[in-house]
Amino acid sequence: MRRALIVAGLALALLVPAATAGAHPLGNFSVNHLVTVRVSSDRIDLGYTLDQAEIPTFQERDLPRATVLARKQAEVARALHVSVDGRPIALVQGKGRLSAPPGQGGLPLTRMELPLTAAVHDPHRVQVDDETFPDRVGWKAVVAAPGKGTAVHSSAPSGDPTGGLRNYPKDMLSSPLAERTATFAVAPGTGTLTAPKAVGGETTTDRSGDGFAGVFADAAAGKGALLLLILAAFAWGAVHALSPGHGKTMVAAYLVGTRGTARHAVGLGATVTVAHTLGVFALGLVALLLAQFILPEQLYPWLSLVSALLVLGIGVTVLRSRLRARGRAHTHDHDHHHHHHHHHHDEAPSKKTILALGASAGILPCPSALVVLLAALASHQIPLGIGLIVVFSLGLAATLTGLGLLVVYAKRLTGRLRIPAGVTALVPALSALAIVAIGVVMTVKALPQVA
Amino acid sequence: MVATRRHRAGLLVLAAAAMAFVATFAVLSLVNSGSGPAPERQLDGAAPARTTDGQIRQLQTQVREAPTQPDLWAELGETYLQKVRETGDASYYTRADGVLRRALALKPEGFEGLVGTGTLALARHNFLGGLRYGLAAHRVAPGLARPLGVIVDAQVELGRYGAAARTLQRMVDLQPNLASYARVSYLRELHGDLPGALYAMRLAVSSGGGAPENVAYVQTLLGNLLFEAGDLRAARAAYEQALARFPRYVPASAGLASVDAAGRRWEPAIRRLRGAVARLPLPQYVVQLGETEQAAGRPAAARRDLALVGAEEKLLQASGVNTDVDLALFEANHGSPARAVTLAQRAWAQAPSVRSADSLGWALTRAGQAQAGLRWARRALRLGSVDPTFLYHAGMAARAAGHTALADAWLRRALAHNPRFSPLYAPRAQAALR
Repeated sequence: MRRALIVAGLALALLVPAATAGAHPLGNFSVNHLVTVRVSSDRIDLGYTLDQAEIPTFQERDLPRATVLARKQAEVARALHVSVDGRPIALVQGKGRLSAPPGQGGLPLTRMELPLTAAVHDPHRVQVDDETFPDRVGWKAVVAAPGKGTAVHSSAPSGDPTGGLRNYPKDMLSSPLAERTATFAVAPGTGTLTAPKAVGGETTTDRSGDGFAGVFADAAAGKGALLLLILAAFAWGAVHALSPGHGKTMVAAYLVGTRGTARHAVGLGATVTVAHTLGVFALGLVALLLAQFILPEQLYPWLSLVSALLVLGIGVTVLRSRLRARGRAHTHDHDHHHHHHHHHHDEAPSKKTILALGASAGILPCPSALVVLLAALASHQIPLGIGLIVVFSLGLAATLTGLGLLVVYAKRLTGRLRIPAGVTALVPALSALAIVAIGVVMTVKALPQVA
Repeated sequence: MVATRRHRAGLLVLAAAAMAFVATFAVLSLVNSGSGPAPERQLDGAAPARTTDGQIRQLQTQVREAPTQPDLWAELGETYLQKVRETGDASYYTRADGVLRRALALKPEGFEGLVGTGTLALARHNFLGGLRYGLAAHRVAPGLARPLGVIVDAQVELGRYGAAARTLQRMVDLQPNLASYARVSYLRELHGDLPGALYAMRLAVSSGGGAPENVAYVQTLLGNLLFEAGDLRAARAAYEQALARFPRYVPASAGLASVDAAGRRWEPAIRRLRGAVARLPLPQYVVQLGETEQAAGRPAAARRDLALVGAEEKLLQASGVNTDVDLALFEANHGSPARAVTLAQRAWAQAPSVRSADSLGWALTRAGQAQAGLRWARRALRLGSVDPTFLYHAGMAARAAGHTALADAWLRRALAHNPRFSPLYAPRAQAALR
C-alpha cells in the first residue's frame, strides 16, 4: 500500500524536472494559461493562450486534433467569464490555433491560442475570471493591454514575463503566478492603460471546478455523444406522446370540441412541458434529498438497484395495461395517470382551462421520463438526466402541440379528424417492451454492485 | 369575473415558474455539494501567514529585504518542499534547490540549510546524499530531533534497519511528536508488527503538527495501515478525516478508492482515481487506476491508462532518472519483465531496502527465473513483514519454483488480514490457493 518516504511524503522525485534541456520548467503535468485583456470603448478583445505539458497531452493522445481543440475551446467557453458593469457578457470565440511543440522524452506538448471578442457599449467596470482547468498546477496569469478610445486602470499587470508562455521566469524568489481574476476600471480616453508592473501581488483564487460542470465535461468528452443523447431524448419524447396517457386524445377532443385556435394548441403544449418537467424534478429532488442523509457511496449501489427494479416494475405494469387495453375495445382513451375531462362546451377555451388541462396532462411524470431520470441516477449523471428530461418534455410538447395544431387546422379544413388506430395501438406496446428491456439491463448491472 | 380568472392564471404561471426555479436551484446545489468538500478559499492578496502560500510570500519578502540571512533562505527552501507535498507542483523543487544552495553558500555549516538539503536529497531518491546532510546537521546540533528524521529515512531506504531503529529511538526520546511517531509506525510495520504500527500512527495523528497537510498525511498512513489490517470501515473513516483536514488530498482519495475497490464498488473507485490522476499523475496512482479498471472488467480502459506510465518512464529517462521501485513493479506486472529486472537491479544498487528486494524478486519471478525470484523474496521478508504484496510475490515465486506448501503458507498469510488487499492480486492469490 504505502510506498513513500515518511518525510518526502509523496514520491515526487519521480517528476522532478531535471536541469536538462527540454524539461517543462513547470513540471511535466502542468497546465499553464494566460489571458490578455484589451478593453476598447465598443469591444473587449481577449487572447487565451494554453501551454499544456507532456503528461496531460499524452492523456489525450487518442483524440483527433480537432477534438482536442474543441475540448479546449469548450473548457474556455465553460469557465472563462467576463462581466461588464456587473452583468456577465457572452464571448464570441474566434478561430483557435492548436500546435504540438516538442517536449521532453520525445513527447509533444499542447499549445493553443484562441482569440475571443465581445461587443460592449462604453463599459465602466470589467471583470475577468479565468476558472479554466481548476486544480491543475501551473502558471496562471491575466495580463492587460491598452484598447481603443478608453483609459483603463487595471488590477492585472501590463507585462507578461513568460513571452506568451514560452519562457518561464527562473527567479527562485517568486512563485509561479496563480492569477485568475482581474478588474478593469474604464473611462473614455485615448487608449491608455494604467497597470501594475509585471508580476503583481500573488493572489491565489484557485477555484475548483464544480460537480455540475464536471459531469457535463465528462459528457462533453464526446460532444457528438451528448448531441445524440439530446436528439434521442427529444425524439423519444415526441414519439412517446403518441402513446396513451398524455392527454393526447384529450387534447384533440378538447380542441375539436371547443373552438380552439392555434394559440390554444401552443399554450397547451407549453403548459404540458412545464408541468411535466416540474413533476419529474420533484421526484428527482426527493431522491437527492435522500442522498443527503446517507453516504452516496453506500446509497448508490442500492439506489441503482431500486431504480432498476422500479423501471422494471413500471415496464411490466405498462405492458400489462397495454395488453389488457388491447383485449378491451379500442378506446385508446384509457389512461393510467388521470381522468379525462371531456369538455363539451361550445365556447372558446379560457386561459385558465388551458392551463389546468395542460397541467393535469403533464404534472404526473410519465414512466418514460422516470426511466430517463432513474437511469441518470443509476449512472450518477444527475444533471445530465435533468437536462435530458427537459428535452424529453420539449419533445412531448412538440408532438402534443403539433397534434393540436393539426386538429385545429384539420377541423377547419374538413371539420373532423380521424387518427389511424393501427399506428396508435402498436407504438405504446413497443414502448412498454422497451421499458421492460431497459429495466432488465439496469437490474442485471446493479445486482453485482450490491452483492 | 374574467379579470379574476386571468389573474389566477397569471398567478399559476408565476407559481409554476417559481417552483421550477427553486427545484432547479435546489437540485443543482445538491449536486454540487455532493461533489466533494468545498475548496478552501483565501482572501485575495492577504492569505494568512499560517497557510503555506502565506508563509512563502512572507519569506520571499523577508529574503529580499535581508538577502544575507542563511536561515531565511533555508526556511524558504523547506517551505517550498512543503508546497510540493501539498500540490505536487514540481517546479518548486527547482526553486527549493536554488534557495537551499544559497543558504549553504552563505553558511556551509548552517543547521537549517543542511536539514533542508538533506530532505530535498531524500525526495529526489538520493539516499546517500540525504544521509550525509542529515549526519552533518546532527553534528551541528546533536540535541535536535529534525536531523535524526532525515538520517532515519535514509537508513531505512538504504536497508540499514538496525541503525535506523537506534537513531529513531534517540529521535523519539528527544522529541515524541508526529514526525517521530510516524517513523516508529513505519519501522514496526516493516517488522510485521501491525498492532504496534497502528498504535504509533494513532499517536502521530493525535500529536498534530504544523501544516494541515502533515496531519492529513499521517491520517492517510493510518488509513493505509487499517486497510492492510482489514478494517475497511475504520480505514475509510481515517481517509475521510484526512480529506476533511486537507480537501482534495490525493493520497487520501486514492485510499478511499482502494476501500471502494475492496468492496467491488468499481464506479466510485474509478471515479476517485480518475480525479486523483488528473490532479497528480504519479505512476503509483496511474497503476492503481489501471489495475482497478482491469479488475472491474474494463481491459481497454486499463490498457489505455497504463500506457501513461510508459510515457512517464520515458520522461524520467529523459531527465536522467532511471531507477524506481514503482516502475519496476509496473514493468513486471504490465510491461516487460526483462526491463523490470534491469530497473529493479538499479533500484537495489541505489537503495538496498526490503522494498527493492521485493521488486527485484518479483521482476525475476515474472521473467521466468523463479529460483532467483524466491531468493530475493525471502530477502524482502527477512524483517518479518506482513505486507500482503510482499507475501503475494513470495507465494507466487515459491509456487513457480515448485515449493507448493511454502507457497500456500505465504499466500494464506497475504490474504489473512485483508482478503481484498488488491482488486487484481487478491483474487489471483485466492485462485492460486484453490
